[in-house]
Amino acid sequence: MTANPTDLALSGLTKSFGGTLAVDNVTLRISAGEMVALLGPSGCGKTTTLRMVAGLVQPTSGDVLIDGYRVTHIPVHRRNIGMLFQNYALFPHLTVAQNVAFGLQMRRVSRAEVASRVTTALRLVQLDPFAERLPSALSGGQQQRVALARAIVIEPSLLLLDEPLGALDKSLREAMQGEIRAIQKRLGITAVMVTHDQEEAMTMADRIVVMRGGVLEQVGTPEEVYSHPANRFVAGFLGASNFLRGSALGREGGEVVMRLDGGGLARVRAGAGPGGPLIAIRPEAVRLQPASAEAPVENGIPGTVEQVRYRGQSTHIHLRLDDGESFLAYLSNGDEAVPRQGFRPGDRMLASWSSASATMIADA
Amino acid sequence: MRGRLSGLGGFVTYTMAVLILLFVLAPLVVVVALSFSEAAFAVFPPVGFTFSWYETVLNDPEFQHSFLVSTLLALAAALTAFALGMPAAYALDRWRVPGGGAIEAMLLSPLILPILITGLALLQFMSMMRMMEASVNLFIGHVLITLPYLIRTITASLKQVDRSLEEAALTLGASPFTVFWRVTVPQILPGIAAGCLFAFMISFDDFPISFWLADVETMPLPIYLHSLMERVFDPSVAATSSLMIVTGVLAVLALEKLVGLRKAMGV
Ligand SMILES: Nc1ncnc2c1ncn2[C@@H]1O[C@H](COP(=O)(O)OP(=O)(O)OP(=O)(O)O)[C@@H](O)[C@H]1O
Ligand SMILES: [Mg+2]
Repeated sequence: MTANPTDLALSGLTKSFGGTLAVDNVTLRISAGEMVALLGPSGCGKTTTLRMVAGLVQPTSGDVLIDGYRVTHIPVHRRNIGMLFQNYALFPHLTVAQNVAFGLQMRRVSRAEVASRVTTALRLVQLDPFAERLPSALSGGQQQRVALARAIVIEPSLLLLDEPLGALDKSLREAMQGEIRAIQKRLGITAVMVTHDQEEAMTMADRIVVMRGGVLEQVGTPEEVYSHPANRFVAGFLGASNFLRGSALGREGGEVVMRLDGGGLARVRAGAGPGGPLIAIRPEAVRLQPASAEAPVENGIPGTVEQVRYRGQSTHIHLRLDDGESFLAYLSNGDEAVPRQGFRPGDRMLASWSSASATMIADA
Repeated sequence: MRGRLSGLGGFVTYTMAVLILLFVLAPLVVVVALSFSEAAFAVFPPVGFTFSWYETVLNDPEFQHSFLVSTLLALAAALTAFALGMPAAYALDRWRVPGGGAIEAMLLSPLILPILITGLALLQFMSMMRMMEASVNLFIGHVLITLPYLIRTITASLKQVDRSLEEAALTLGASPFTVFWRVTVPQILPGIAAGCLFAFMISFDDFPISFWLADVETMPLPIYLHSLMERVFDPSVAATSSLMIVTGVLAVLALEKLVGLRKAMGV
């Protein structure tokens, strides 16, 4: 069971439902064997995009190209697509084996070959002992694995996943993330996944596509998108971020010097991020020390502790800056060098960071 | 049964249920009891016990004829109503049919209009069209009044179908037609069965349509029963009625055996 590597391209893909644009001019190229996650808040058009790729929704304009062929007007059942649904969508009146066999029967594969391919697929998802059960006699995780087997047994050109793990609890979800990813890599199937869980997107995907209001906000590897978010929305959507507003004063040795509106100076490596009036700093890059009465420092800003929350691996400290903005610091609880004690609401603290951990981004 | 009620609420509920059941069943029990009476007149309470009225009825060629007419008519009407109602319900539920709402209202209208009037209108129409064949006329009339039951139950089942199952089947390479037969139909089968049962019973039981459209050569059971009551006063009328009840019960049991009645009724 190996897929012929297939690449996928979306070209100006647009869908409007009675005047409202659900997906707005999406252009995207996905290479063979790649796994891409569509990530974004509810209603941003992820599902609609995925369903246009599948052929379940007809685009208003634009095209879907599989291996360079325009498939926009080819009906779903001739697109050779494997799809996973959030509610598994197993046929309740068919056994596990019959469910997996369905797609092969549609392809008029011989009886003997169906049997052997079904067994192989079920073994791949470790469900061969359950072949004769009905789906209702399986747990959610098992059901989704049957759905996975059913989708890949037809050797699809594309694997499409719409929040496939949304109905599972956290630990099972993490296990399944690993399992799906491993099978996708092993078979080399080009895959597009929809999720609104940023952790899921980061752990599973080669590239993340962040969407908002039907528009692509940023496309990049998890690392790129996390470390160099294109704008405030992306930075805020993928993990937490602190934003400080400022204006550039000039360049100094490969760094841009900015005057922060809240007072003080900040240095940001030139070329880190797309540029703009905001500096984004991840909470885990922030260090805290008791504030002294000295003049404002570089790459630092004073604030008052509002809340201290112990979160297991880390402690989250919520600061209120003097201009009223909030500022968040995550202190690792495993790091002995970091003082964790002695933060109490009302304490004056200086939050500081290194130039390398700050990014200049657009305010959008 | 998902759980038992308890306490005062439970007591009241169960008592009410039993009382309603008694109220519904009591007249039927009287009829059935009378059918075994040895008395030559239908008087309650029955006297003695005999099967002779059944013997009389079952050997009566008029009864045999009427029973056959009613059974065939009910089967034909139910199956035809299914053949017409299935595509209609599917189209109305799944496609954007222009004027779909009006069409649906029209198809369901026999449920609302007084059936006696529907029958009279049919009779007038048919005599205008010079349609003289009673069996055909009865068939048309019965399809008309049973169709709404099939459309109703099938539409209700279609609305409950998990659409992602159909979509999954499409992605797996099944054509829309195959999806319908292999995925949609198995899911709505209980609804179809329930609809057919309703249709069968409505037709088998029908008086107001048959009243206008039947003739002496094609006389459904309820009409025959009515004419019997005008001229006969012995318990054979009760025996005939009991046989109708038995047919209904058998139809229900058959459905229970085939698809499970609870499922079919959506409980
Ligand atoms: N069939 C439809 N008819 C009308 N509007 C629709 C339809 N499907 C989606 N929409 C609208 O299009 C927009 C995008 O919907 P979509 O389902 O693609 O969002 P999503 O990103 O998948 O959201 P979620 O995370 O909640 O699943 C929403 O505003 C939605 O209301
Ligand atoms: Mg969605």
